[in-house]
Amino acid sequence: MPMAADLQTSAASARGEDLFTDPAYLRIRDVVYQISGIYHAEDKMYLLGGACTRRMAETKAKSPREYLDQLTVRADRDSELRKLLNEITIGETCLFRSQPQIDALKSVILPQLIAEKAQMGYRRLRVWSAGCSTGEEPYTLAMVLLEEREKLLKGWTFEIAATDLNDRSIEIAKAGVYGDYALRNTSAYYRRKYFTPMAGASAGAGEKLQIRDEVKAAIAFSRLNLNDPSKMLFMSGMDIIFCCNVLIYFDGASKRRVVQQFYSNLLPGGYFFLGHSESLFQVNDEFRLVHFPGTTAYWKGPAGKGATT
Amino acid sequence: MNANVAEQLNKKVRSIHSLPTPPVIFQPLLGLLQQPADRVNLKEVTRLVSYDESLAAMCLRIANSPLFGRAKTTESVQAAVLSLGIRRVGDILLTCCMQQMMPRGKWATDPAAFWRHSLGCALVTRKFAEMIEYPDVEKAYVAGLLHDLGIVVNSVTYPEEFSGVLEEAAKMCVPLLVVEEKRLGFTHCESGLILAETWRIPPDIRDVIQFHHGDGGAFDKNPLVSLVHLCDLLCRMRSLGHGYYEAQGVDFAADEAWLVLAQQFPRLAAMDLARFTFDLDAVVGEVTDLVNSIFAPTEAS
Repeated sequence: MPMAADLQTSAASARGEDLFTDPAYLRIRDVVYQISGIYHAEDKMYLLGGACTRRMAETKAKSPREYLDQLTVRADRDSELRKLLNEITIGETCLFRSQPQIDALKSVILPQLIAEKAQMGYRRLRVWSAGCSTGEEPYTLAMVLLEEREKLLKGWTFEIAATDLNDRSIEIAKAGVYGDYALRNTSAYYRRKYFTPMAGASAGAGEKLQIRDEVKAAIAFSRLNLNDPSKMLFMSGMDIIFCCNVLIYFDGASKRRVVQQFYSNLLPGGYFFLGHSESLFQVNDEFRLVHFPGTTAYWKGPAGKGATT
Repeated sequence: MNANVAEQLNKKVRSIHSLPTPPVIFQPLLGLLQQPADRVNLKEVTRLVSYDESLAAMCLRIANSPLFGRAKTTESVQAAVLSLGIRRVGDILLTCCMQQMMPRGKWATDPAAFWRHSLGCALVTRKFAEMIEYPDVEKAYVAGLLHDLGIVVNSVTYPEEFSGVLEEAAKMCVPLLVVEEKRLGFTHCESGLILAETWRIPPDIRDVIQFHHGDGGAFDKNPLVSLVHLCDLLCRMRSLGHGYYEAQGVDFAADEAWLVLAQQFPRLAAMDLARFTFDLDAVVGEVTDLVNSIFAPTEAS
């Protein structure tokens, strides 16, 4: 999830213009950490600072100190905190972002899971896009699975749960409207089959496509805080979980806790995907690292066996 | 492989005319690479290289690649040795030798793809060996470089059959070996061994050629085999394979070779394999560039 504001603010901090060294930022960091489990280490402070700067322009706070008050003592502090979290977690991504992940899913994981589950008499597959941002990932998964409807998944049902902490992202996701940038990896085949052009939009540059209802129908969107154990309990029984570039914002302790929760939420034999260069090294040693061509995933061993050998 | 197939293959490999005999420096070079670095004579190396101008030129070009540590001076082999170390230069020489030994005629495979895999595997094996503190990292390089010799054999001795093998393997997304067994009755491990014997390649590298896909309890006997087995797989999972998609998920830590190595090299258990893998992606581009610059031009000639 490269952040939209990331580029601007990192450029600024590279020039040494604003390193967000005001002690108020450190207090804000603590507040954010306490609430969301998202921790901004020193090298990530510019992300938090950038988010605060954008919110402060909105709330007319004159200093980080004043903004801290808006977050902690004002009556509407909860709503402002939510807005700040939105600003922190807003992502920028595209459909079909990781072809190696999709290939691994289609050519290795699905056939394997389907064979194993069919043997036990199951015909239902559950996938969770955790930290789905503005919907690109779950829609991609839905299209990939829909393509298998008459092949691997013939006679099967599947559900995709898509959650994010940011409710503004969820709203955008539900609308399912994407521009050229988000569609840059989407082939003509998928565009034709699963999208409709937005009425009134001009052709060519700036064209927007809307995802079709049949794709939307495969996904249940909801807001979810990964750091809320009681809510996480509802997400059990998953076959595959995607959580790409979300955990990078978490500190070690909450990362370990959340990953452990993902592990519990997966069915035996299920797979867990992280972002392109994220690893669970020293975060979790129950998951097994599995290499696929061009990508890696984590696997929860089969039932009855210890996860580690 | 049944006895009939074995005999036929043996005959065929030994009578290959399109496989050039190794350059004169090949045997002395292999001998040199088996010695501890402090016993290798610099003069001897320089003398070996000066046998062949084009070899020396290619050697210096490779020495200047970032993959090999980039020799500060590339004007002379002697300078390269001083800058890179004698064993590293030995590796480079062997790489050039190998390239010269490759048949010029008809290949069922894309020679550049073969080179990307071989050179990639050599580099990855050396890196992996360093990581787990395997005592002879340069030997690891040589083993990685030569492990798939049998693919050259198959490609040249059975060009039509082998291109069928490649096609089917790519279509089915399965390892080459599986289709070789089915369609040829033997694998590149077996044909590679025959060539290795003909070329008098030392026994520990011969083990690697024969057993890098497992079998024969070789993982236990020779850690070099385990090392190359794992690195070959890593390369195939990271865009340095045989040029097609292999649909498999590899759980390295559960691989027999990994378990065997972990007993002898405790560093393996503590290794961050995911990070090692991410680091490999930087190698892929450089290997491709090097193969394009070094091998592709001569291939056309």
